Order: sequence, then C-alpha cells, then structure tokens
Amino acid sequence: MAVQVKEREHQDVETEQLMSGCEAIAEAIRLADVDVMAAYPIRPYDGVMQAAAKLIANGKMDVEYIVADGEHSQFEIVKHACAVGSRVFVGSSGVGWFYAFEAIAVTAGLRLPVVAICGNRALDDPGAFGTEHNDSLAVRDLGWLLPWAETAQEAMDLALMAWRVGEDKRVSLPVAIGLDGAFLTHSQQIVKIPTQAAVNKFLPKFDLGDRLLHPDNPITIAPQVDQDWLMEIRMQNDQAMRKAHDVITEAHAHFKELFGRGGDSPFLDEYMTDDAEYVVFGQGTLALPMKVAIRRLRKEGHKVGLVRLKWFRPFPTQEIVKSLSRFKAVGVIDRDYSFGSPYYGGVLYNEVRSALYSLDKRPTIVGFIAGLGGREIEQPMATDIFEKTKAAAGDIKSGDTCHWIGVRS
Amino acid sequence: MAVETHGTGTLPQIKGVKDVPYDELFVSGHRTCQGCESALVMRHMVKASGPRTIVLGSTGCMYVANTTYYTTPWVVPWMHTQLGASGSAALGTAAGLKVLMRKGKIKDEKINVIAFCGDGGGADMGLGAISATLTHKDYNCLVLLYDNESYANTDIQLSSQTPYGAVTTFSPSGSKKRLMHTRWKKNVPGMLAAGHPESRYIAAGCAAYAVDLMNKIRKALQLGGPTFVHTLDPCPKGWDYHPQYSQELGHLAVECGIWPLYEVIDGVCNLTGPTRQIAEGRKKRKPVYEYLKRQGRFAHFADEDVEHFQHEVDKMWTEWLIPGVIPFTVAAKDQTILKIDKKPLHEQKTA
Amino acid sequence: MSDVKETSITVEVVYRGIFQKTLAQRICRSIVLAARKRGHTGTAFARYGDSPERNGVPAKQFAVVAINNLELEASMAKYEPAVVDVTIAVDDTLVKGVESWAWYGRQPIWKPIRKDGFLLVTSTNTPDEVLAQTDTALRPYTLVIVPGGASFAGLWVFKDDHTDYRCLGALAKVLPDWVRLEDVKALIKEQTKDDGAVQSAQYGYDGAKRRPVKAGEGTSGHEVLQFEKPGWTTMRPGIIVNARKPGERNPQYKKYGARTLRPVVNFDTCIKCTMCWLDCPDECFEVTPEGHYEVVYQACIGCGICAQVCPVKDCIVMVDELKFEDNEDKWQFWKKDHDGYNKWFETKSGVSANPQVRTPPARQEGSGNANPSANPTSASGGDE
Repeated sequence: MAVQVKEREHQDVETEQLMSGCEAIAEAIRLADVDVMAAYPIRPYDGVMQAAAKLIANGKMDVEYIVADGEHSQFEIVKHACAVGSRVFVGSSGVGWFYAFEAIAVTAGLRLPVVAICGNRALDDPGAFGTEHNDSLAVRDLGWLLPWAETAQEAMDLALMAWRVGEDKRVSLPVAIGLDGAFLTHSQQIVKIPTQAAVNKFLPKFDLGDRLLHPDNPITIAPQVDQDWLMEIRMQNDQAMRKAHDVITEAHAHFKELFGRGGDSPFLDEYMTDDAEYVVFGQGTLALPMKVAIRRLRKEGHKVGLVRLKWFRPFPTQEIVKSLSRFKAVGVIDRDYSFGSPYYGGVLYNEVRSALYSLDKRPTIVGFIAGLGGREIEQPMATDIFEKTKAAAGDIKSGDTCHWIGVRS
Repeated sequence: MAVETHGTGTLPQIKGVKDVPYDELFVSGHRTCQGCESALVMRHMVKASGPRTIVLGSTGCMYVANTTYYTTPWVVPWMHTQLGASGSAALGTAAGLKVLMRKGKIKDEKINVIAFCGDGGGADMGLGAISATLTHKDYNCLVLLYDNESYANTDIQLSSQTPYGAVTTFSPSGSKKRLMHTRWKKNVPGMLAAGHPESRYIAAGCAAYAVDLMNKIRKALQLGGPTFVHTLDPCPKGWDYHPQYSQELGHLAVECGIWPLYEVIDGVCNLTGPTRQIAEGRKKRKPVYEYLKRQGRFAHFADEDVEHFQHEVDKMWTEWLIPGVIPFTVAAKDQTILKIDKKPLHEQKTA
Repeated sequence: MSDVKETSITVEVVYRGIFQKTLAQRICRSIVLAARKRGHTGTAFARYGDSPERNGVPAKQFAVVAINNLELEASMAKYEPAVVDVTIAVDDTLVKGVESWAWYGRQPIWKPIRKDGFLLVTSTNTPDEVLAQTDTALRPYTLVIVPGGASFAGLWVFKDDHTDYRCLGALAKVLPDWVRLEDVKALIKEQTKDDGAVQSAQYGYDGAKRRPVKAGEGTSGHEVLQFEKPGWTTMRPGIIVNARKPGERNPQYKKYGARTLRPVVNFDTCIKCTMCWLDCPDECFEVTPEGHYEVVYQACIGCGICAQVCPVKDCIVMVDELKFEDNEDKWQFWKKDHDGYNKWFETKSGVSANPQVRTPPARQEGSGNANPSANPTSASGGDE
C-alpha cells in the first residue's frame, strides 16, 4: 500500500488532506508530540507505522521509533516507555494483537495510558485480513477504553481524545481505537488536519506525577501480591473506568468547542432516529451501508434509523437505555462472533440486552451476525436486517434469535 | 578504557573488596531462600550501578521472592515486567528516557537502565526480545540474566540452562528413566556475543567472584549501548545443598571449568578470574565430580553420567575455539580459516 | 477427652520451608490416611501463600479430618484454617514466632490453637526450655515435646529419620478419638514394611512429654510485629509502594524468624577482610568504628555463608537459635565489656574466644543435608 503524504509547508493552519484512517492516526501522533512508538508489521494496521516513519524521516515529528521483534515486545516497549513518562503509541491487528495479549493485559493492570489502534482483523485460523472485531473486543474486561471509528476523520479525532482521556489522572487507563480493516485503515478520505495550536490547547502535557519511574521518585511498581491485596487493586481500576465516562464527556465538550466536530453525544451517533420505530445498533464502518439503506427505506415510508456506538468501553449504559428505549425494535449488528453465548448472539447483542434488562418497557432486541471476514454489508443484506428487525417488533421473545446475514448455505 | 560514558558519570573499576561501595540499594527483608546467590547478585548489581539507576525485573524468583507480598527491598526505582519481556523493558525504558531528555521534558543526565531476568525468562521465553534489544545500539541499557539453572520460582522446573541430567520437578529420576533431562546447557552469553556485533559488552560472571562481577556490570554500564551480563547463581533450593556452601559451589563451577568467566568488549574476548588461570595453565581444572557430588540434584548420577558430564566439559576445553565462548572448531585441513589476511581492503595485495 | 459432638479436627504442621516440605507433606497425608482407616474422611493441603517455599522461611501445611464429607466442606476452599486443634512444630526454634511474608507480622506459634488445644514440638530440649522461648499464652494449651531434633532435608533427597512417624505417634496420644495409634502403626507398616518405622510411632506415643500450659506462661520478650493493611482508597494508584529509604531495612518483613542457627562473631580474631559483609545475601553485616563487621540479628536468616567464607577458623560460629533471647547487635557489648562478651561468645558457641586455646569446635554443623550418599527416595519434593 504505497503511502502518499503530501509535502506541506510548515505554517500552522488547518488543512484538508486525502488520507486513509491509518495516515490520519499518524497525523494525530505528530500533533500529540508522541515520544516513543513501537512498530511491527501486520496487515491492516501497519499503514500508521509506515506513515509515521515518513513523518519522522522528513523531520515532521521527533519520536523514538523502535521496530520490535514481535507484538509482545512492541506493547512491552511502549508500556515501559510510558512508565518513565513518555507519551506513546502502538498498534496491531488480529493474531498480532493476540500475540501481545500478555502485555495488553498488564498495561491495563498497571493503569499506564498507552494509546493504541487495533486495525480490526479476523483472527486466524485461517489467515484472513478482512475486518472482524473479536481482536480488540477480547480486551473488553481488562480496563482498556475501547472506542470505534467510522471515518478517517473520526479516527484522528478519537486518537486525540484517547491521549486526553487516557492520560487524565482520574482515569489513567490505556485506550485502543478500533479501525475496521480495509474500509477504514486503507480507504483514503478527506480529513481535516487541525492546527498544532488547537491541539496544544486540547492536550495537556503527559504527567504521571508521583507514579513516574525515575531515580528522583523512588518507588516499586507492581510488587507480587496474594489474596490480601487484589480486591483493593482491582477496585481502583474499576473506579478509574467508572470515572472515564465523565472525563470522556468533559473532553468531548472541549473537543467540540476547539474543533467543531464530535456530534451531540460522545458515546452515540444517532441517524434519523427522532421518529424512528425500529433501528439498527452497531459500531464501526458497517454504519455507512446501513445509512444508505435507511435513506432508501425512508423513501419507501419505513420509519427506520441507526444508533452507532462510539465507545464500547466504558459501555455507555444509561445513554443506550435512554436512546434505545424509544424504539419498538432494535437490530444489534455484530461484526464479531461469540460462539456458545446466550442465544448464540454477538458480543454487542448480549451487552445491549443486558443493559436494557431492567426496563419496564423494553424494545424487542434481535441479533445479527454480519460482515465477518470483512464481507461487505450490501444493500439487500441491510434491507433484510431491517425487515427482520421490524418483524420482531412487539414480540419480545422473537429477539431471542441471532440471524447470520449474507451467508451462503 | 571507556570511549563514551553512559553510566552514572564515571563508574571506575573496583580495585578490591575494600573499594566496594558500602551503601545498600537492595536491603534486608526480601523473602529469598537462605543462601540465595541471586539475591547477592541483585545486591552487587545496584552496588555497582549506584543510585541513579532504574531496575526492571521480569517474573522469577528475584521478582516474586523480593516483593512478597506488596512490599519491596529496593531503594532504587524498580518496576516489574513480564517473564519474557526483559529485553523490551530495557529498550522501552531507555528509549523513553532518551527522547524525554532530548525534548527537555526531563533533566538530561546519565540514568542507568538495568533489566534482570532469570534463566527461564532470559534464555528461554525472552531470548528473542533480548536479542532484538542487543541490536538497538542507540539505547543504553543492560540486561542481566541471573541463572539459577531452573525455573526456581515455580519450585524448580528444568530450563534450557539446567545442567545435563539434573533433577527438577519436570525431570524426576525414576526407576524406568534415571535421567529425564539430557540436553546440554544452551550457551547463551557466547551465542549473544557471536550474534550481536554492535553490542559493545557481553560477559559471563558469578557472584562468588563479587568484584569481578561488579566490574563487569560497571564496564557494561560505562560502555553504553545495549549490553548483557549472564551470572551463574548457585541455588540452595534447586541444587539441593546446604545454603552455607553457596559461594563454594560458585567457585567449584568455575574451577571445574563448567562455567567459564569471560567478557567480550567491542568484539575482543577476554577470560577472567580462575578461568583465565586455567587457560594459562597456572591452575588445573578440577574434576567435575568435585562439583556434582555436593548437590542433591545429581544424587541419582551413575558413574556413566559423571563421565558424560566430564567428557562434555573436556570437549569445551579441548575442542572449542574459545572455551565456554565459541563452540566451533576448525578442522586441521581448514586452518586457513584462522589465517585469513586481516588487512583492510585497500591494503590487500591482489592475488 | 475431646467432646463427642465434635465433627472434625484440624491439625497444622509449621515447618521450615523447603528443608521440611516433604516431611510436612508426609505428616499431613498420613493423618488423613490413618483417620481414613476408621471411616473418617479428610483433606490435606499446603498453605498457598507459602509457595514457592523459600529455604528456612516458616510455612504451614494442614490436615483436616471429618466424620463425613458434609462436615468437611466447612474446611474446604480455604487458604488457612482460623482455628486448629493441634499445631505440630517440627523445629523448636519456630516457637520464637512465625513470620511468613510481608505484612504477616510475627505471630505466636500458638495463635490458631483453640483453648485446651495442643502444641507438639520436636525438640531435644525440655518442655520448660522450649516454653521459655514461646510467647506468653493467652489461653491454656498443652505443650507436648516430641523427642528428636529438627529433621532437615533438601528438595530432592529426603532424610528418612522417622520424625514423621514419631509425630504421628504423639498425635495419636493427644487425639485418640480421631487418629488412633493402631491405625497409625498399620498405615506405616503398609507404607514402609519396616517394623523400625512402626516402633518409631510407638516411641513418639510413649516418649512424648506433656506440659500443660496456663494462660500467662511463656515469654513476653519477643518483638511485637503487627500491621494494619491499607484499603483501596489509601493504597497508591498504579500498584505502587514506596521504595525503601537509603539505610532502611524492610520494616514490613523482618525475616529473622527464618533462622534456626545464628552467627556469633569473635571480634578479637576478626581480620576485617569484609568477606562476611560482601557475601551476605541478606545485607546483615554493618561495619563498626574499629572496622569489624557485626551481625544485625534483626535481618540475619541464618544461612551460614558468613561462617563458611570467613577465613579465620571459628571467628564466626553458627549456633542454635534457641540459645538466644534477643536480637540486639553485639558490638556494643564487646566494646563496653570485652571479657564479658568473650565469655558470652564461649558459652554460646562452645568455642574458646582465645585463638591460642585449642578446643574442639562444637560448631552447630548445619545438617549436611543433600548428602548424595543418602538414598534418593521417590518422594517428589516439588509443588504438586
């Protein structure tokens, strides 16, 4: 994938660029003055590392750029660079993301605000580099914040949000931005690159305070513990994740004020839902073909809409309850699988049903598994999803099934 | 001797025991075994490096024992890292410090970065990451492998560093199979020295020769770049001897020629301590039985096992190009390999 | 003697990590297997936090016997029973207190023993000598001395000196309703086919010396070491603990309870070569104004390296820990009362302080375990 980053004279003005999601993230890295990055090749995420390498080689940013010998080393390198106070960036995809899993778990345990992207990719075997969300979803219980982007613009914006929220002392947790392989990591889109001045207002200096690993701050980090200590340590992480909700809301407001983007809610992007009777719910680039279908079905008189989830963790439970309780039926589209789960549903499906469980008046929530291996969501599939969602309206039990969409039988 | 100093200003070589720094940066109250040689290595390591040091410790005895539970014996800043991540921990820490200092985000000064690992963490799981780190010549960090010849922290399982035939819980001696473990110890320092020409310092040491070890650590920190020191640590628990004999077993390992002490500085190999005296014929190698008989992990050895052990050690001293370091040899008919015209290109006469 | 309605009994074995791991394991398993012979059920387990055991550090294993599985459940899914009927300490120096890891504090040996329970101690000393080193009792219990010294072995080579059989015999004496002597003897016969081993059990039964202890008996000389653990609001975020300050020793883990022997130093013959200080894995030596090196007994764990590496014969002698009442450093004593100190050195070590006087060294040779000539048994010492 040849990466073209146009040469720009260096005045600090907002520019518009044609670039992929990965290249947009590279711009965010430059604007955030990242200190240490660790690279390792795996499709589809590593376009960010190629773009970043060019920015470094051409003096556009000053970063220690370390090519590691594997994903486990990648994530360990940035974890330790973060512990001595560096702002860091790292990323991977699919089985590469899984190869780093020990380091990924430990980084959250240590509450070190590493910022990463996961170029979502199907897990092996067989080898496949189309998008599936199971790679970064697998982190969902460990304390990583997990936003998902729909466009290259949003990818960059979420990266800036990631450093801002992750490094906030009240949170201090790592953040992994989900970018759908190909559709977002590769396809080039028009992206507004903000000014350095604006970003400097948005992103304070990274400061670990008395958690900094430095001879002037003698501490021991992560001594061995037994059953006498872990409930308390886990509680601290739980509290941090709970605070993340408000810190995201705060940061989102400030982001909108500075950059004029971000939509009403930090957590949900609603499309034609004001008078909608039944909607689909999902995350990532699958929202794009669904919106095309919504516009077509609206013309045919169907009151349909979309609610797109931007932050899977922390799961915005209250916002989702408030939003989805307005509809007769909700079709949750999972671009992932969860074999053997309740009703064999996807991860999102079961989390949304759990969030709405205690409502007196619940919409029917029906599940869809679609787009695995990066398969495109074509219009007939989108129509099929809306029809099945509509058919389920009014009969709560009919949500207890999870439809596989677009599968050759 | 040091061209470029990266250590804490200057870290001069320690002249003798009376010259060893007195202050402790690794203090009493760590739950290590009675007679734990690895604890001694930790103590001497930070005595050699001094207070302006950050230590990263991968999972193993020196992590778990020292910080059991929710406490620490470290005066210097210390952080845990994963079993196979010592190389990456050293690299990430060194890179972080370097760029933060360059950008003026923290004060520019010499801070030693040392990541330690056991033989399980360093010679097995983490060897890849250590090898990678030793190629990144722009970052100053020392990886120290304390080798007690087993996964001791999980109650003694064999690793690639466990000696031929030794009993561990993965290699119990039974009526059907007297020896469950018959691999010879992987030659890690030699391998790393041969494989990483840009690493300026790689050495093999033992805390039973405390000053020699501390000076090796100082040379590594002083030369800078990614460096590696491998220490052999007698382990009373895993080797099964009374703790009071830890130093004696360290001496025996070296005097029997089983564990050669050496260093490779900018590609130049140098034997140290008794190993040098043996090589120079000033000291006779002791029979390996003197060493084996002192340890319960070899209690099941038959004569043939001792003979095999002696034979392998003899081979190291009679066939290897450099005993304990370079296991290759050169056949008689190929001696030209050792006589290659080493003059630079422009000085070479055409054929 | 024990009231009939009791549905289970709990026995703990307190021992020196690694040195007595196999011994403790054999005792606990045998208690359950012996009680099984009369239809009881039971469980045997090591204390998870002790693992991985460290040479000398006090550890515990437990045996619980119950009349049926229902009654056994109350003792399952536990790291450590809160109350025990019997504690068996297989090294008498353990009566000076048990400190197993940081924040644990120094716990009296009888801490979990119920009122009127039993403290069995293997010892060659008299009950009163042992009691003199045991924390003052808060409630009555019976001290039972099981004849025989501490049995130490390595991880791979178990020194089968019948200590376990003697302990089982003594246990049958104090808990006859649960562990009958004939069951113990039958079990041992099955396991070993060795009548000598069976006799050892009988000897433990007959030779055990009972010494009822009233509340208030024992010593209050030991250091009180207790901690209050912080909660999640006061623990530093990011799994961080303060580093040790320069010159400080770890206050949360003193570790001197891990010693069965302690080094006593003859300052007169010391040649100030620093080897003891240099080679101590636990940083126990401190230099005196005269350049000698004295032991900080708060930190020493009795490994014996100093005595080994000291180039001067009998300048450092390892002595039975039970012969000492305090942990004070001794240099001040030597400075103020030179002859008094040397007298103390001689009485403790059994070796003349005057180098010219040739007295046979009564050095407490650390039990030369792991002597390869001992027959390696298949008892796997590893962690199950």
